[in-house]
Amino acid sequence: MKLVPMRRMGTRCNVIMEQPLFQHNKPGRCVTFAEYRDEGGFAALQKALKELSPKQVEQAVSDSGLRGRGGAGFPTGRKWSFVPRDLPGPRWLICNCDEMEPGTYKDRVLLEANPYSLLEGIVLASYAIGVRHAFIFIRRGYETATANLQRGITECLAAGLLGENILGSGFSCTIDVHSSAGRYICGEETALMNALEGKRANPRAKPPFPAVKGLWGGPTVVNNAESLANVPGIISKGPAWFKALARTPEAAGMKLFCISGHVVNRSCFELPLGMELGEIIEGPCGGMRPGSRFKACLPGGASTPYFSAEHWQVPMDFDPVAKAGSRLGTGGIVIFDQDTCLVAATLNLVRFYARESCGWCTPCREGLPYVVHVLETIEAGKGSREHIAILQDHIKLLNYAFCALAPGAMGPVQGLLNNFMDELEEHIDKQRCPFKARE
Amino acid sequence: MPKLIIDNIPVEVTQGKTVLEAAKSVGITIPHFCWHPALGKAGACRVCAVKMVDGPVKGIQMSCMLEAQDGMVVSTTDAEAMAMRKQVIEWLMINHPHDCPVCDEGGECQLQDYTIAGGHGLRRYTGKKRTHVNQYLGPHIEHEMNRCIQCYRCVRFYQEFAGGTDFGVMGSAGRIYYGRVADGPLESPFAGNLVDICPTGVFTDKTARFRARYWDYDMAPSVCPHCSLGCNTVPAARYRELLKVIARQNDAVNGWFLCDKGRFTNSAVNAPERPRVPLIDGRQVAWEEALAALLLRIREIGTEYGAESLAIVGSSGLSMEAASLLHLLHEKTGAGSLCYFVDAGEAQQSATVTACLNEQASASMADIQAADLIALVECDLLQDGPMMALAVRQAWRRGAKISLVEDAAGTVAQNDNGLNSTDKLPFEVERVASLIDIPFADAAHPVIIFGGGDKMSEVMAEAGKTGAKLACLLGGPNSFGAALLAKEYGAISLAEAVADKKVRAVVSVEADIPPELLPKLVVVATLDWRNTETVKAAHIVLPTTAWVEMDGTYINNEGRAQRFKKVMQPGLPIKGLNPSLHPPREHTPLVPGGQSRPAWEILVDIVHRLGSEEDIQLFAGQWQRLRDLDATGNGLLLTDIERGIK
Amino acid sequence: MIDNELKITLEQRVAAAVTPREAAVEVMKELQHHYGWLTDEALHEAANLLGLSPLQVEELATFYEMIYRRPVGRRVVHVCDSISCWAMGGETLLEQLAGRLGIGVGETTSDGMFTLLPCCCLGNCGQSPTMLVGDNLYGGLTLEKALDILQREREGIETK
Ligand SMILES: Cc1cc2nc3c(=O)[nH]c(=O)nc-3n(C[C@H](O)[C@H](O)[C@H](O)COP(=O)(O)O)c2cc1C
Ligand code: SF4
Ligand code: SF4
Ligand code: FES
Repeated sequence: MKLVPMRRMGTRCNVIMEQPLFQHNKPGRCVTFAEYRDEGGFAALQKALKELSPKQVEQAVSDSGLRGRGGAGFPTGRKWSFVPRDLPGPRWLICNCDEMEPGTYKDRVLLEANPYSLLEGIVLASYAIGVRHAFIFIRRGYETATANLQRGITECLAAGLLGENILGSGFSCTIDVHSSAGRYICGEETALMNALEGKRANPRAKPPFPAVKGLWGGPTVVNNAESLANVPGIISKGPAWFKALARTPEAAGMKLFCISGHVVNRSCFELPLGMELGEIIEGPCGGMRPGSRFKACLPGGASTPYFSAEHWQVPMDFDPVAKAGSRLGTGGIVIFDQDTCLVAATLNLVRFYARESCGWCTPCREGLPYVVHVLETIEAGKGSREHIAILQDHIKLLNYAFCALAPGAMGPVQGLLNNFMDELEEHIDKQRCPFKARE
Repeated sequence: MPKLIIDNIPVEVTQGKTVLEAAKSVGITIPHFCWHPALGKAGACRVCAVKMVDGPVKGIQMSCMLEAQDGMVVSTTDAEAMAMRKQVIEWLMINHPHDCPVCDEGGECQLQDYTIAGGHGLRRYTGKKRTHVNQYLGPHIEHEMNRCIQCYRCVRFYQEFAGGTDFGVMGSAGRIYYGRVADGPLESPFAGNLVDICPTGVFTDKTARFRARYWDYDMAPSVCPHCSLGCNTVPAARYRELLKVIARQNDAVNGWFLCDKGRFTNSAVNAPERPRVPLIDGRQVAWEEALAALLLRIREIGTEYGAESLAIVGSSGLSMEAASLLHLLHEKTGAGSLCYFVDAGEAQQSATVTACLNEQASASMADIQAADLIALVECDLLQDGPMMALAVRQAWRRGAKISLVEDAAGTVAQNDNGLNSTDKLPFEVERVASLIDIPFADAAHPVIIFGGGDKMSEVMAEAGKTGAKLACLLGGPNSFGAALLAKEYGAISLAEAVADKKVRAVVSVEADIPPELLPKLVVVATLDWRNTETVKAAHIVLPTTAWVEMDGTYINNEGRAQRFKKVMQPGLPIKGLNPSLHPPREHTPLVPGGQSRPAWEILVDIVHRLGSEEDIQLFAGQWQRLRDLDATGNGLLLTDIERGIK
Repeated sequence: MIDNELKITLEQRVAAAVTPREAAVEVMKELQHHYGWLTDEALHEAANLLGLSPLQVEELATFYEMIYRRPVGRRVVHVCDSISCWAMGGETLLEQLAGRLGIGVGETTSDGMFTLLPCCCLGNCGQSPTMLVGDNLYGGLTLEKALDILQREREGIETK
């Protein structure tokens, strides 16, 4: 395991940090199959197939405290445990690599550098759940990552790490890569199943939950790529090791934080869960870029309510971030400086969601363009107090949309109203955007 | 049976019903757009919000998505639930055009109703409306996409329920578009249901465009006369013009829908060339004169050729009221033949089918939908009973196996287009050589659908052995009734009569006399409302009322007697009046062209004139049981009575 | 029309799928690759391959951002307009690029080389502003840099 001194990354803490996901990374290129194998890759798979029962693999993942990295933070082991093992017909595993939430690019960075951890994780998960056919659903635009995965699958097949009778264990599993054609909603797990089945990617009603009735009506687990890529480490080094990687006792493991916006180092870092926001910005991010002061950030991708400077010390882990009024989401932190108009930023965000709505339900399909219109009006200096009331109504009522896209879309709007109301009111009172030069 | 409380009212519903349905069962209408009883839930429109106050689920929920469960306490009047419902309406109205005054849906529009009910009256949204380009969808359906509220009902009906593949939903987000890849007539034989199922005015009946408002329609419960299935309808008329036909729900027969044949082939009722005045040799006369002439000619025939050369001919399209009086005419005239069918084959088929349905349980359309194994024998569903094909599709969607028994040539009936119509059936079939190849024993609810051909005995034997229910397709809306009467009075078909005896004269009651026979007849008298070849050749024409212009009864393919009610006054549509006669110079209390009378009434008149003193009652003897039929009920299943089932 | 070789490849892909529909997106993408965009002809070919009606293929084709149902240039230039790029000046990049290419957003250059479209987050937020040209992802853009890249893409196509 490659150890990276934190100091080198510029943080104030001086500890040696393990990076289970990035440990095999080679500068400027993708790790090769041989390198990955020789550096201890696939050891977890060997161990599991030789020594562990599927139940034990699931238990290890449960014990590790691994929570889903796709946005909702659902405990991965628990999700696997919901799958009934006694139903006739196939079960399915889908690796969710749709990653279209603005500000999020961790899965791409992961897979451009190393597809093997994920592939190994998928086989391990398949073994645990009893899946013989897994899919990787990957977005359009990630062509390098897709090629890496496809090459990796060929290599694993050739090496007997995939396909029939893996490593002589009697367990067989195939992985297919499904590359999509661009729609954010395809990342929502039930919409994803429709997309994979070649139907329009509208979400499905829950219940029934995918674990019971998912892909082609069979029990299905959908996991984020980062979640699954963490499984080999948990199996080879043990759940306790994984859990201890985090900064706080409540948290478990490392997390890929992908940074964008007005900081010096805009990059994807593998960091312990529970690091404070300020620590991340001042450490690996190298602080704000010259001339910029921190004003706000989206702590976990485009659907999370803004943090302001008062959240500087919030530990970046699921529960503390939620307690502070936002969500850890995907770990995509988008940082804004003092010159950013948050009304305009919110407008940009809601426009994205309005365009990406699948069009199935009224609140999202009609409500989001409404919110766009209201924000446009305010930003154009024509807003009134009634518009704030309309925004408040939408924050509340978009919760009753069919899926989580619309409530997510209102995350930033909620953050705007909660933390930057004065800025919003200034737009209305002055009847212009205070960040735009007066014409 | 879950028990729950909705707005303080205790409700008990069957397992599997939704909260929305539970509320409905106690008279609480929760607004809904995307939910439809036949299509089930979608959860798309979000207008059915209620507050779950207590029980297994809490908070604001969509009542259409939530199965009713024990212990639920539901409030439909909760402030937040109402706020949500109101907001949904505002969202939908953001883009909806304010074109109600020129929209044919106005007055029968769910969106209009709920918008008014919810009190949404002021526009807060100041942006532009989204607009779409409409498509030409054929001669029957008008497309106005701007009115769409994206409830997905149309596409769920068209593709999922009816199996159509040329209409659907395209785009995403606010760019959603319901239509075809390109302009062109909708291909599904059930496309007309889009008009009924769309909660707003995207699809309207082009044939009735801009003619009337809902509150102006003359409407009554009716029955479709275009095949033997007896689908329930609501014809809508105004000013003596039949404008359109709407499906009427009857779960035992057609469910919520109709086929396009039943919906769009009714122009004959309004046809200008329809006989509306009694005629003698093409000359317009008064009723008195026409009836007198008829009697005279009947007598002349008697003296010249003998009464036995006269044939009284009814049809499978004739209402049971008239059909059940034909034998009186037969008796009083001493006619040689009494015929309820023209064609020998049709008579034979109807006779065998009625006979066998009296022995074997007949399958209703609901039975077909619930079947798990269906055998198709000698039938062309899309031709002879399209709605039955739709019922079979529902069974198939639930996993039923459909087997098609091929005839000797390995083919099945050809339809009009010369295409093998099984290619177009909205379900998949497995072809088998014989009924014996079908594993009836494995099925819990098997049904055999039979067209009534040569395989009769085979079908009967198999049904008897396996307990399969039987569904048969007949020729006309009252074939079943006509066959029962034919049996009762020992009638034969006109074809047989012509072959056996010298038929020189015919009194045809809404029958189609074969064109090649017409020139050979000395006297052709006809009672009819259609402008048929028989009417054109007839010496005496007595105009009858169409089914929408009178009360009547048909007995459908399963032996279900159904009453239909008078929808409109007979008479020339106002549209058909001659404007050059303005202002009218003729002043009569009569409706122009309104002299048509129900066939049964004319028959009674003739029988009296033939010297009968008796007071002729409709539905005498065993037919008394048809007297009190309720047009809005499920009718009366005669086959059950026949087999002693109440 | 597609050649026999591609047809057989696609037929095999459909046959290998769990259900034919599963291969729908891939078939559409392959046909789009062949024709440059998903032509009406391609729509019908896809329908035949998948055992669907053309409308059913259209329902899918029009759902996705990067299936093109109208003619496009040799390369589609997708400029990300999502938040991270917006924050780093991407907001003006699209317009400026349009100006320098002499076309409006959504239009194709007169030589048929490029079609310019905005798009959703490309997952390259760390190097915003960013764009996708064909299959190639480019980040850290300025107007000049983007124009340079397009020039190189143009040369790449022309020498091929
Ligand atoms: C609109 C929407 C988009 C989503 N996109 C993604 C995505 O791109 N990748 C992802 O892993 N999860 C995404 N999710 C979350 C998934 O639904 C699902 O929770 C996740 O894939 C589960 O994996 P995990 O348990 O490993 O986090 C999205 C959810 C929503 C509502
Ligand atoms: S909230 Fe509704 S319209 Fe929006 S993506 Fe989800 S299901 Fe589709
Ligand atoms: S066309 Fe009518 S039925 Fe179809 S989605 Fe729109 S409103 Fe609903
Ligand atoms: S009727 Fe319940 S969501 Fe439409």
